Amino acid sequence: MATEKKLQVHNLRISFRTNGGKVQAVRDISFDLHKGETLAIVGESGSGKSVTSKAILGIQAGNAITEGGEILYDGQDLLKISEEDFYKLRGDKIAMIFQDPLSSLNPIMRIGKQLTEAMILKGRARQRNCKENFYAKLSLMEKYMTESHPNQVAEVKKKCEIFRQFEMKHIELEQAYNEAHEAAELMLVDLEHMLFLIEKKALKEPGSQLENMKEMLIKALNPYVVAEDRAAQFKADVKNMTAGLGAQQKKGDFSKLQGHLENICMVLKEALAKDKPNFFALGYYRFSTKDPAPTGTVEENNQFYRQYLDDHFMLDFIAMAETAIGKADEKFLALREEAITQLQSALPVLGAKPVNEEELKNLCASLGKVVNASINPIDIVKDSAAYTFAGSFQGFVNQYFTGKRTNGQKIRKYEKELAKYNRLVEKGKNPDWQVAAASVIDLDQVQENIVRLVNNLIAHYQQRNAAEKHVDLNEKTVALIDYLKENASGMVLKITKQAAKNKALKLMEEVGIPEPRKRYRDYPFQFSGGMRQRIVIAIALAANPDILICDEPTTALDVTIQAQILELINRLKKQRNLSIIFITHDLGVVANMADRIAVMYAGKIVEYGTSEEIFYEPAHPYTWALLSSMPDLDTKEKLEAIPGTPPDMIYPPKGDAFAQRNRYAMKIDFEKQPPAFPISDTHWAATWLLHPNAPKVEPPKTVTERIARMKARMGGEANV
Amino acid sequence: MSNQHEEVLLRIEHLCQYFKSVKAVDDVSFDIKKGEVFGLVGESGCGKTTTGRSIIKLYDITSGNIYFKGKRIAAGTKSYKDAIANARMEMKKVSPERKAELKAFIAQQRQEIKAAKQDHEKCDKRFVTQIQMIFQDPVASLDPRKTVLETIAEGLVIRGEKDKKAIEEKVFRVLEMVGLVREHAGRYPHEFSGGQKQRIGVARAVIMNPELIIADEPVSALDVSIQAQVINLLNDLRHQLGLTILFIAHDLSVVKYFSDRIGVMYFGKLVELASSDELFAHPLHPYTRSLLSAIPQPDPVYEKTRERIKYEPLAAHDYSVDKPSMREVAPGHFVQCNDAEFARYQKELGIVNE
Repeated sequence: MATEKKLQVHNLRISFRTNGGKVQAVRDISFDLHKGETLAIVGESGSGKSVTSKAILGIQAGNAITEGGEILYDGQDLLKISEEDFYKLRGDKIAMIFQDPLSSLNPIMRIGKQLTEAMILKGRARQRNCKENFYAKLSLMEKYMTESHPNQVAEVKKKCEIFRQFEMKHIELEQAYNEAHEAAELMLVDLEHMLFLIEKKALKEPGSQLENMKEMLIKALNPYVVAEDRAAQFKADVKNMTAGLGAQQKKGDFSKLQGHLENICMVLKEALAKDKPNFFALGYYRFSTKDPAPTGTVEENNQFYRQYLDDHFMLDFIAMAETAIGKADEKFLALREEAITQLQSALPVLGAKPVNEEELKNLCASLGKVVNASINPIDIVKDSAAYTFAGSFQGFVNQYFTGKRTNGQKIRKYEKELAKYNRLVEKGKNPDWQVAAASVIDLDQVQENIVRLVNNLIAHYQQRNAAEKHVDLNEKTVALIDYLKENASGMVLKITKQAAKNKALKLMEEVGIPEPRKRYRDYPFQFSGGMRQRIVIAIALAANPDILICDEPTTALDVTIQAQILELINRLKKQRNLSIIFITHDLGVVANMADRIAVMYAGKIVEYGTSEEIFYEPAHPYTWALLSSMPDLDTKEKLEAIPGTPPDMIYPPKGDAFAQRNRYAMKIDFEKQPPAFPISDTHWAATWLLHPNAPKVEPPKTVTERIARMKARMGGEANV
Repeated sequence: MSNQHEEVLLRIEHLCQYFKSVKAVDDVSFDIKKGEVFGLVGESGCGKTTTGRSIIKLYDITSGNIYFKGKRIAAGTKSYKDAIANARMEMKKVSPERKAELKAFIAQQRQEIKAAKQDHEKCDKRFVTQIQMIFQDPVASLDPRKTVLETIAEGLVIRGEKDKKAIEEKVFRVLEMVGLVREHAGRYPHEFSGGQKQRIGVARAVIMNPELIIADEPVSALDVSIQAQVINLLNDLRHQLGLTILFIAHDLSVVKYFSDRIGVMYFGKLVELASSDELFAHPLHPYTRSLLSAIPQPDPVYEKTRERIKYEPLAAHDYSVDKPSMREVAPGHFVQCNDAEFARYQKELGIVNE
């Protein structure tokens, strides 16, 4: 998949300091999360899956120690940024659905408030952010354009100004349309439900609900939503909707109301079936001329506006921007080449033993500058590796000098205490305390980290420069203009309390909470477990995050609701192009959700591949064990439970951690950790069974039979 | 079905359990035969746990009867009281002959109430210990201050067992039976993993030599790999001790794997009851269909095309005139339906009435 990498985790290691010793919860795991895909992490409890997800959000327990690695997101290393920076990410960019709904809700706050809190808080920040982005990128573009067209400075200025102004017009129109459209959509659902109730003769006292609906229905009146020739009739219907309601209620015959509702429904349906006008082009048309709008279908109109925009403005603008961006790209390509040569020449100095400290300091400053200079600020996707380079480098250098300064001191202190302890032991006493080992900084390790950092960046830049030669400039320019468009829309997308409430009600309905209006003002304790979990999911989705982490979201729910919630998450993923990390121990759930799967055991990823590969061609004995221990609808024979329990992670086993519970373990499994053996481009497993010298082993019968059955069911359509 | 299944161990007749105005269980009837595993499924809040708890008399049931080995162990009085109230209403405006009739009827109902109260309250406690329960959450159902030995032996002690040696021997025997070792007897619950805790829960139930075990979601709180261990354990014990099990769960794959017959509950009502193969092969009630369509399978290609059927009681049934009741559509296959639906279901199964 050549999509954008949203999140990259490299060589992550996390331990917990406990009374018994250091528990190694996560041991050197790496994975990438692409835009719009679901990565499932599967494993037993205690395998380190939740720890990984909490590290991404920066909410580890107090006794956690991050021993190494990096988590790159949007030009930042999440393991190194401050708590204040995390405030901007949590809930807004990265949201999490926790396993236990009770502990993630505030018991003394009504759930309506909890739902809208994040929306309102983040809404303003988002608006500000969009504004900054829009003006920064536009002025950068203007700068590049003046640089590349030195003879047409005035022309460039004028064009950019026009762009700014008609964008404002566009967002104004679009906002009005959005509000009306949303109201129409919401109302249609309510209306259809009410009609259904009338038909089934189950409608009771609709008075207050109808008043609410009236208000919302009027909001749907927008020239681009409800066609103008329908507007008068629509208004009349809405106005007369509640006339004589009391009498109807007494008789129990709502035929009059039904008539009105049906009329309204028809108009709304018609309106919603129409395409969305191209407001970007329409904005320009409205901005530049006073000519009346053309009469035709929405599609024809869109074509007309588009044509008008292209003829009068856009094509010229794009052409200019394209040359400007091309020139800038060339400049930064050269800068990156320069950075590569500098980095490469610095490598021998950095790798030398002992390292020249004076030079290390100088290099740290100069390399950081060179790399920072080679970052093109107009890129929409931030180059995480380049952005974090200077900071990480500085961090390592600081660590090096701290170690140099304090290591001797710590060792002396340790020796002193140890001597004291030994004296006590010699006297025949049994001290109830122990001497903790000195926590010295391993200078060689730090130096190695520095060299690896530089090497990684060189490799990354070389790859990028090679890829740059095939970039379609036109595409890049259009993407940039789309980005500007998006941010302009974000600028005016004001989230008022009422809007947040409407959105929250819609979300509550989406996650399957009946009568959301009534329950909006309830407290968490008034909901059952399943309902609470749905609210937690709604809260996580409310702020429209980039990345959603689901930590066993459906484990406590029953099948129907589980299916509903999984469908909801899948739908939202498609709609919003969400990236999801899905953590669970239930493989049945994973099959529905995941694009790729990482199977974790004892803090390591033991198998990694697309979901088809994991289910149809599992390679690791642990994956086999997981698959064979769950019954499906055709299972008749005895289940194969995994014997024993996961190992104690204070003293992780020397070889393969799964060896003790593994029927297929060989001698080498107890001695040496298996490397990752690639099976295909996207699939690898860490087991010695894949070594060329290993004996051929068949997966357990339950697994092979089930795979055969699945393939038979597919009728050979997917030949895996 | 083979002959050993013929003897009815537990019979539930028109069981109702109301909590104030909430009808948690509403007119549920079924039999559990000796030696079988009866699965009860449904979404959370549909009353399956309440049914289980009513059987071991954790609640006083509102109305209906529960017979265990042919003996009434629990009975409710609401149905009789309602009948009396109706009769009184009628009495106000009828002829003298009818009045006498009604009076006799009321007296008879009063007798019934008396008998029900007698059976319900004076029921032999020792007899009821032959029904034992395994609870959902292994952590919450064990007392953290008691050792495993104390926890498991508690039932025996309450029943009047005094000989400490004999109690210990019995505890050791069940511990080994459920896959723990006798050294575990002196430990406290927090020293065990989730699967082991659930084994202790099983041991506590088994030590009373029960005939019937009510397993209330015994594996929902456990990891997949541990789930298999516990299910295998229950399966072994069942064959070893000849147990009958009422298995309450919402994981349909597990229920299908483990049960002989399955009852589907929806909002306090039993909507369908059939042998497990029959139920999965020919689900009739729309709710059962929707439930079956929601089961996730470990098969990505199939999963991505799976369509879930939604169940909307108002849209699926028209009960305005024709009231539904439990009917036997095919031998051993009961569905909650009305006349029209009954005919339709029979047609679907290919049974033709002349």
